[in-house]
Amino acid sequence: MKLDILNTVVSRRRFLQATAATGAAAASGLGPVPIAGSAAADAKTAAASKTVITKNVCNQCPARCGIDVYTTDGRVHAIYGSLESPISNGKLCPKGYLGAYLLYDPDRFKGPMKRTNPRKGRNEDPGFVPISWDEALSAVASRLQNLRDKGESHRFALLEGRGWGATDAGLHGTFGKLYGSPNVAIGHSATCADGGKKAKLLLDGNYSYNAYDYANTNYMLVFGASFLEAYRPYNNNLQVWGHIRTKSPKTKVTAVDVHWNTTISAADRALLVKPGTDGALALAIAHVILTEGLWDRNFAGNFNDGANQFKAGETLDPAGFTEKWTKGLIEWWNAELKDRTPKWAAGITTIPEGDIVAVARELATTKPAMALFERGPTAHSNGVYNGMAIHALNALIGSMYAEGGLMNQMGVPYGRLPAKSEDFIDDYAKSDERKRHPRVDLVKKEWLMASNQSQAVAANHLAGNPYKLDTILFYMTAPIYSAPEARKWEEALQTMFVIDTSPFPGEIAMFADLVLPDHTYLERLQDAPIYPFQGWPMTTLRVPAVKPLYDTKVYGDILIEIGKRMKGPMGEYYRALGSTENILKHIAKGFEEKPGDNGVNSFESWQEKGCWYKKPYLWRQVRGEFFEWDGAGYNKPMKPEEVKTKLLKTASGKFEFRSSYVQDNEKYAAYINKALGVPVERVGFPQWIAPQFYGGGDLHFISPKVPLQAEGRAGNLPHATSIAQPVAGGRKTVYLEIHPDTARKRGIADGDRVRIKSSAGSIEAVARLYQGVRPDTVILPNIHGHWAQGRWARQSRLPTGSASEIIVNKSEPISGLAAYYATKVTVERV
Amino acid sequence: MAKWGMVIDLEKCTGCQACTAACAMENSRLPGENWQDVIFFTEGEYPSVQVKWFPRPCMHCEKPSCMYACPTGATYKTSDGVVLVDWDKCIGCKYCMIACPYGARFYTDEKPLAAPDMRKVFRSKDDHSWSPPWRMPDNREDWRRGVGVQPRGVVSKCTFCYHRVSKAPKGTPDLDPSDPAQREFAPACVVACPPNARYFGDLANPNSEVSKMIANKNGVRLLDQLGNKPQVYYLTGSGGAVPTSRSTAKS
Repeated sequence: MKLDILNTVVSRRRFLQATAATGAAAASGLGPVPIAGSAAADAKTAAASKTVITKNVCNQCPARCGIDVYTTDGRVHAIYGSLESPISNGKLCPKGYLGAYLLYDPDRFKGPMKRTNPRKGRNEDPGFVPISWDEALSAVASRLQNLRDKGESHRFALLEGRGWGATDAGLHGTFGKLYGSPNVAIGHSATCADGGKKAKLLLDGNYSYNAYDYANTNYMLVFGASFLEAYRPYNNNLQVWGHIRTKSPKTKVTAVDVHWNTTISAADRALLVKPGTDGALALAIAHVILTEGLWDRNFAGNFNDGANQFKAGETLDPAGFTEKWTKGLIEWWNAELKDRTPKWAAGITTIPEGDIVAVARELATTKPAMALFERGPTAHSNGVYNGMAIHALNALIGSMYAEGGLMNQMGVPYGRLPAKSEDFIDDYAKSDERKRHPRVDLVKKEWLMASNQSQAVAANHLAGNPYKLDTILFYMTAPIYSAPEARKWEEALQTMFVIDTSPFPGEIAMFADLVLPDHTYLERLQDAPIYPFQGWPMTTLRVPAVKPLYDTKVYGDILIEIGKRMKGPMGEYYRALGSTENILKHIAKGFEEKPGDNGVNSFESWQEKGCWYKKPYLWRQVRGEFFEWDGAGYNKPMKPEEVKTKLLKTASGKFEFRSSYVQDNEKYAAYINKALGVPVERVGFPQWIAPQFYGGGDLHFISPKVPLQAEGRAGNLPHATSIAQPVAGGRKTVYLEIHPDTARKRGIADGDRVRIKSSAGSIEAVARLYQGVRPDTVILPNIHGHWAQGRWARQSRLPTGSASEIIVNKSEPISGLAAYYATKVTVERV
Repeated sequence: MAKWGMVIDLEKCTGCQACTAACAMENSRLPGENWQDVIFFTEGEYPSVQVKWFPRPCMHCEKPSCMYACPTGATYKTSDGVVLVDWDKCIGCKYCMIACPYGARFYTDEKPLAAPDMRKVFRSKDDHSWSPPWRMPDNREDWRRGVGVQPRGVVSKCTFCYHRVSKAPKGTPDLDPSDPAQREFAPACVVACPPNARYFGDLANPNSEVSKMIANKNGVRLLDQLGNKPQVYYLTGSGGAVPTSRSTAKS
């Protein structure tokens, strides 16, 4: 079997271009020969060499670490964290150093290509032939125009993965609006971390991840967040760790997970929780905090007579308690918490009662403290309620907006775009006919409350429900590898016109009809505002370190160039927009009025420093009072309505233990009732509902993210693969972690090849007997199992496929988050 | 003259392997042939399991057993305390690899960890074992000090990034990578370390930060009983683990 996708498709012109750009096309075996050890040669090259440092932003995770790219004699040879970036502070996680290998990946696409083999499949050679950019862009534009002319523009979908900023994902909404498709773009957030965001929206009114003041916290309770492996911003988390673990007083850490990972090993206390039951643990912690009278009275208020009346099993009169910045505490207690004793939780979570009580006391009596979580608790059928139970702890201990607590992220004052999109929407795009077509992922229909449901697209298309797609474009995402029941995509993509924009070969490209390769990040000019970090606003910029090695085009310009080729006002809009560089120059004008702390006040200074930021975060809660920064300190008291507008954005302006967002919305309450069986009168409370498990097996199957995952490309990076540790990683592959007792019962020995099977399918992997995993759980990080990425990734290696191939495609109903950790499998020796 | 040494605070180390990855990049290392490795090991039984990690560069011993074992004098100790290999003198006999108690040395004929072999993908036409497009600038190569893309047929090891460290102004007590003036002289792993677990400085200067840390925090050396007297010290705080170590009275 020959897979020509991996063969270099290079026209002579491109070959010359590449060699001229790099001075050495290593893959072709040419290159200057260094004569080392010779003083004369040393002197000669020393005279000719000049090292240039350009600012860029790491691409290997969403953290936006500023990097210094070292280029000498036209070749990038080093990348270090930029001292000028407040996220990287001169440091990088291990993924940061992989950048040059990605740039010089010999398997990169060398230019736009089209497919010549009409048959599509894992083993079908696409038969790519090089085409010109003009031909490629015109092909897309005429295809889209044609759909539009037929009134079928909704049949074009754009699937978006890691978006960076105004010049890539930031262009999508407008493109969809002008073109007239509700499917531009369907984000990847429902296969990412929407569960946590939704839990926070319900309780504090902010649909976003939190910013955290780690440096000043004295206690961290971490639920399934892989803080020292993958939690964003990973690099800064590692820096934080060095600080908090050696400061005075030392920050104590309790970590909750299902196996011994780095985080749990480095923590002071490990709590090995039964998968999907983190919510029960959090509720019991809340129960102890209340019954023992340890809650933060400044933030949550107190009983009118000052005496603690929380007693297990006993309901209370809400009138006897006056709340301050929370709402619904007694109602929550009566409806849920009064029965959530440590003993009850121990039976569900398998965590000993004594540990639950100890953690509750530590969390509530150590100030400041915080509870944080991510996909461990939320990628389950009960994920949003698990997340709510955990996040509610932050209100009970008064850490919302407090020093050493949680905040939200402020936005960046970008300047205006060169054109106003509203002026360019034509009658077609505005028509009622356009509004008739739902999104192909059925968000807002079947998924009433979700933002995205990209994992539903393949099945919906195949079923023609709500309709069949005609054309699909992928940007920085590959559900064919990463979405639950990934193999469904292989079927679906056979009957769509597929456009891939990755610079690298991969599983999507195997099914692509057109490949329009993006630059790699070290070749891009691109902005990237940060994810929630420390609250104050910040944005970053990528400055190309080298000219593009090949005939590639930055993704934003691909989209703009397609837009320009569209008829009517849409084409006019993109001609007015010009290019991504033009956009960047316009948005940088926002810095003229608001110069950054580092002096950045223009496009030029932004390029020089690589980031704009303005400290501090403007608001703080101090012992139950909110203050705004007045230039010298948090001195200006805030009125309740200001707190509501700027911070606690719920209907009440309070942290709501009884979420009005769902409780006071009949449609939402009915939806949750139907989807999860929660009685409508209690949908708003953080509460325990038992998780559902799928797949028909007897072992929980968990696929965590590991440190060297490198945004999906680690499989083709031998430098990453060879050092990937721990626990199941290590030296060429990842292993299926299985407890020795569990293995023995199945006749499995260490190193055996095993089959992991669910109702969705089966893959094979190497078993590693490991004491550090729950006996009812097996662990397989989703990093290998690629089958079309490049010459290293496609080596016959175990596992035989992506963990996603055997994960049943069920999603948490409120957030739409894929219930990645809710599949149960059987494991047997092959 | 300086006596360069390193301090690694195991209480801060998160086992992230940024040191390993940065070293590989800076020194054009082949995948998996890690001059700077982090070794993971697990102990105990569920539910009382320990996962531990131990960062291990070359120890740049005061009394390097590798140097004494070398028949050609290729391995030597510099006047500023660094153990280097002169690739022009090394005959690849590997005696040093056996003599080193820390497993810190590498030869080029080892089977590649990831196929296809990167040495074949980025083939060298000269004596270098390979020629990656991201290799260090040509003028930094220094075979007499074991710096550069490893040639065929020789042994290599961590140089404390001698091409950086040796350029530091004379008399510098510590090479602090958070100081822009010193950053380019600090070893890659020290620049890289996100939790700031690594410190690099002059052990011969009692006023250097590294000397003070060793004194204040009871720095210990790996396998000290062997008498190699490593110039890499570990701080164990309450979070670290050093495999059996015992101080020796021998000078």
